[in-house]
Order: sequence, then structure tokens, then C-alpha cells
Amino acid sequence: MSDMTPFRQPGPAAEVVRVTIVQGEAKASADPRVEMSTILGSCVATCLFDPISRVGGMNHFLLAEPPAHMRNQAFDSDYGLFLMELLINEMLGMGAIKSRLRARLYGGANLNPDLSPIGTANAAFARQFLIRESIPCVFEDLEGTQARRIQFRPASGQVRARLVPSDVAPTEKPLGRPQSAFGTVELF
Amino acid sequence: MHTQSTPIRVLTVDDSASMRALLLGALSSRGFAVEQCEDGQEALEWLASNEVDVIITDINMPRLDGFGLIEKLRTSALHAERPILVLTTESSDEKKQRARNAGATGWIVKPFDADKLTAALRRVIH
Repeated sequence: MSDMTPFRQPGPAAEVVRVTIVQGEAKASADPRVEMSTILGSCVATCLFDPISRVGGMNHFLLAEPPAHMRNQAFDSDYGLFLMELLINEMLGMGAIKSRLRARLYGGANLNPDLSPIGTANAAFARQFLIRESIPCVFEDLEGTQARRIQFRPASGQVRARLVPSDVAPTEKPLGRPQSAFGTVELF
Repeated sequence: MHTQSTPIRVLTVDDSASMRALLLGALSSRGFAVEQCEDGQEALEWLASNEVDVIITDINMPRLDGFGLIEKLRTSALHAERPILVLTTESSDEKKQRARNAGATGWIVKPFDADKLTAALRRVIH
């Protein structure tokens, strides 16, 4: 992929500004010194990059899945949608253009074979979002049974993904939407 | 007066197909008649020959953004008084003030709560 190349040798350590993206976050940058990193188990991270403006960004989410007996309750994709939009809007604010965005998807592992495959469900949400928004997914490293460490340089689109022992991944609890801070209605 | 036979007509303006699908599901299932446009320009063209009771618009959109759409609608005799709600992930006071100055009726922060959104729609059309 010419527009999202593999990770090159990092520059001198002093020049690197490390930014950790935790679950529920979305951050963007055009700073060549910035290296975003995250560790994913069942969670999915989307790395977006605009090769013309050289703006990139990453989010990290795990969507709630309803228990099997609650068949009417929807898989809460609203919050994932929000995190995707938050990421895109932050990038647009830095000069990116949506039609130029390229995506890489990581994570969505099913770490525990005895639990429902929530990683697969999160991966499916991310893939479907990109298709709906006509954002090409140039690479994906999804599902499987192992945790991953992702390092992303937003200004160049370079990504390095490595498998890590699953006990390195932080404990992941699905995110519902925060009840208090969002959906606020203010009439002028 | 809006009864079951005359549902409230809502135009949603958002460039995200996923968000349009979410709004369409949430509002149709609550009895609203929903029309959708992909950006401010398309909305402006559609509104030149169509009527709605209330408009919900995103801010960040290609061609014509939400601010531009509101400003243009406020200069047209047909839509000068039309309720327009902004639905956005933007949380800055500066953007909110800008929407208010442009003539927006209200400001709703995503991710939206369908019941709160519905209540706001019903309130602003009266």
C-alpha cells in the first residue's frame, strides 16, 4: 500500500511523542513526532489516514453485546458510530477530507473460547461502518485469539501491529453510551 | 396540529450513511415522516420545492456545512421560521454560539438519545 506503508525505523527516541489511546477514545494528529499506541484484546482500533493532508487518527472501542436471553436489545452500535464520527470530525478539523480517508482495522480477538465471540461482533461493526461510509479498508488484522499491540504514526499512516500475550491486554468491559454527558438537548 | 394521520415531517441532513440509517430507524419507528439529504447543498435544493415541519442537521459536511445551511435558510422567506436542530459531535461553546448566531433553534450532542430527540422535535414545532 503506497498510502499506508509499513512501519519504518523510528526516529531518535527524544523526538517521539507517545500517545496512548485507551478504550472509548478517538484522537487525531498531523504531528510527525506523534506515535499513537494501544493494546487490543476484543476491542477494535480504527486507524484512519488522509495521504494528501497527512492527517491521521485512531479510535479504540468495544461495543456492548446483549446477553443471550435479551433478544430484543440491540447490539449497541450507536456508541461505536459516535466514536467513528468523533475521529473523522477531529481529522476534518485538521484538514483531512473524508473521501480521501483510508482505513486499517485491528483487534477484535476472541480471547476466551468459552465466551460469546464479541471480538467478531466488533470487527463486523467496524467493517460495515467503513463500507457504509465508502471509506476503503486497505488492511485488516482482525479476530483470531490473540491480543495485539498497535503503534500508529498519524502523520505518515505507518502502522506496526504485533501479537502480544493476552494477559498484557487491559481488562476490557464493553462501553455503553455515557448517560449523562450526551444526547443533551439545548433549545436556544 | 399533528395527529397520527398527519405525521410530523422531519428532514435529516447528515453526510454519514450510518448516521442517516440510525436516524431513519429511530424517527420512523416513533411515527415521524423522515426525508434525508446528504449535505447542506442537497438539503437546500430539496427544500426549494418541498416542505417539512422541522430540520435536523449535522455540522461537518462537504459542499455546504450545517452553519452555511442554516444561514441560507434563514434568508429565505419560506424557511425563515422553520425549526432547525443541530445534531453534532461538536461540543465546543464556540461552535454552539456560531450555530445560535446563524439562527439554529437548538443544539443536540451525539450520541443522541432517541427519546430526548423526539421530545425536542415535538417541542420545537409548536
